[in-house]
Amino acid sequence: MKIKRLLRSIIGGEKRQAFIIPLLAIFCSLVVSALLLLSMGRNPFVAFQSILAGAGVLAKPNYAGGRGMVTDIMMTLAALTPMIFASLAVTVAFKGGLFNIGISGQMLFSGFLATILVGYSDLPSYVAIPLVLIVGAVAGALVGGLIGILKSKFNINEVVSSIMLNYIIMYVISFFILTRYVDSITRNSSAINASARLVFQNFMIGPYRAVLPVFIILAIGAAIAIKFFLDRTRMGFDLRTVGLNTQAARYLGISPQLNIMFAMTFSGALAGIAGVMHYLGYNDMIPPGSLSSIGFDAIAVALLGNLNPIGTIFAAALITVISQGTTYMSSVLDIQREIAQVITGLILLFSACGAFLRQLLSRTGERTE
Amino acid sequence: MDTVFIDGLSYGIPLLCIAIGGIYSERSGIINLALEGLLGMGAFTGSLFVAFFGGFFVQHSSVPMYFAFLFAMIGGALFAMLHGLLCVKLKANQVISGVVINILAIAFTGFFTRQLNSQVFGQPSDRINLGVSVRFDIPFLSDIPIIGAAFQRVYPFQLVIIAVVVLSWYLLYKTRFGMRLRACGDNPHAVDGAGISVAKTRFVAVMISGALAGLGGMSYAYSIAASFSPGIYMGTGYLAIAALIFGNWRIMPTVAACMLFGFARSGGQRLSHLLELPASYSDLIFTLPYVVTLLVLIFFSKSNKAPRALGEIYDKGKR
Repeated sequence: MKIKRLLRSIIGGEKRQAFIIPLLAIFCSLVVSALLLLSMGRNPFVAFQSILAGAGVLAKPNYAGGRGMVTDIMMTLAALTPMIFASLAVTVAFKGGLFNIGISGQMLFSGFLATILVGYSDLPSYVAIPLVLIVGAVAGALVGGLIGILKSKFNINEVVSSIMLNYIIMYVISFFILTRYVDSITRNSSAINASARLVFQNFMIGPYRAVLPVFIILAIGAAIAIKFFLDRTRMGFDLRTVGLNTQAARYLGISPQLNIMFAMTFSGALAGIAGVMHYLGYNDMIPPGSLSSIGFDAIAVALLGNLNPIGTIFAAALITVISQGTTYMSSVLDIQREIAQVITGLILLFSACGAFLRQLLSRTGERTE
Repeated sequence: MDTVFIDGLSYGIPLLCIAIGGIYSERSGIINLALEGLLGMGAFTGSLFVAFFGGFFVQHSSVPMYFAFLFAMIGGALFAMLHGLLCVKLKANQVISGVVINILAIAFTGFFTRQLNSQVFGQPSDRINLGVSVRFDIPFLSDIPIIGAAFQRVYPFQLVIIAVVVLSWYLLYKTRFGMRLRACGDNPHAVDGAGISVAKTRFVAVMISGALAGLGGMSYAYSIAASFSPGIYMGTGYLAIAALIFGNWRIMPTVAACMLFGFARSGGQRLSHLLELPASYSDLIFTLPYVVTLLVLIFFSKSNKAPRALGEIYDKGKR
């Protein structure tokens, strides 16, 4: 009882919980990661510092010619853009009571379609870029919608069907890339034309060369718009009601079937935009036979961001910094760069425990007050 | 035709083992999407044993392999405790918990395999090589025409798994423990009323689930993959879930489902071989089990009955 009361005094009321519980999850996972690093004889503080430096948040001791902190931070922002969209996709599906684990597949599908339809064409930028975004959103929405139909009409668990679709999409696209669009040197798909790319390359900021990820603004705008949609519109209310209680939604005259399909289509469209931001922005080609880890990291981000679109921006920034900064850290500390995935996984684990903490505290509240 | 039988069984039987693991967990009321991670974690634990202690045995001895299977079951069961802890004790969302376990398992095993290879064994690689297990023909039975193929070039683990399957069928349907476990999935209040702990029963069920998944994962490491590497995560855990849904959460129909998936895979490979398709077409063949799974689910998901309390957090006070 005492421990609970102590916890409660730290964490506070419901309003504060929204901030404190994710922070607690981050703290716990950093402690566990630090212990892990210590057990391997590495200094965890040096590790965390070099993660931040690698992502451009702190300065590195030295840089290659023409590169600076701004080069790294711009790269991090370019990687952050698809991450925000992917996490919004998780969030929207979650609010509708669905678990979209097929984001990686939807991203790959939209990225591939946009690459072959627009990326290889000679259209000027002002036509190509809007087209890429539209193709991406529609392609993602189609896959998401399919999962929604399978769920609402055929009662197929969306997790299972989206995993199956992930593999089908991955293999089929790998087949097309290897037979038609392969670059003979890199063994990836051939690079897209620069005019269709969503991240502007080789931009000079002062003396430093950097990329210019303009669509980060769109990502932040989308987060705000989705926050408004979920909290303030009729459709957003319907979607959340179905997510919270299907039975209650039915009594209110809200169709669960329709909303399931809508939520998955919407989520798929967001994932599709994430896909073009990743494959035609941060990258300019698609490696065959693999799915991006963004789709899975986005689940961690959405949970960490408390399923709040605004919180998602901050959570996405954290996870992106970790994954971007680890390459540098692994060279500084001579440790495998997969450690980034481990840290992300731990954050995910502790975020999943958040519900328990919240429940525990609300019960204590009832008893003590 | 024979190769279709042989390969189909060597893929389908470990899948069955994993699916039965899933049945144990789900019949007790705990959704187990963590099978993928559990099978990987189990195979990793078993491979770790071989990597460290394999050298102490006589060369080409198959003793380390049996130890690897034992350790895979232990590793799977221990890691499954995390799922049990999250779902039963911490009352987390079971779907989220399962996916978290998978992501964590993929991250952990991938990281430690690389780290161990570069630090302990001095060669940067993402795999622990195991080699392929010996295979043998079962005397007399393998001489029967047509169906004899099912008894040719059998991996020892196939026999182990069949024994485990029979045992787990008996445990689930014919013992008091099995009855209580199934009751936990359908009517946990009744179980509680009878004075049996729902939490404990579910926890044990999840651990059994992990052990069986680990055994199945280790079988793949010793056959198709011939190593432990991140390549072991090829969605088998999710295929197993599809198989058990198809099998209506009952062991015997699930056996049929797993065999169907196994033969879809080996049949597809045989077909591409017969048609002399170029190697790039293998990517299309790889999609077959997943396509079959989706189709099967489309036709069978609507009519089947999940355990009634599946996915519900047990709350004593709730009616």
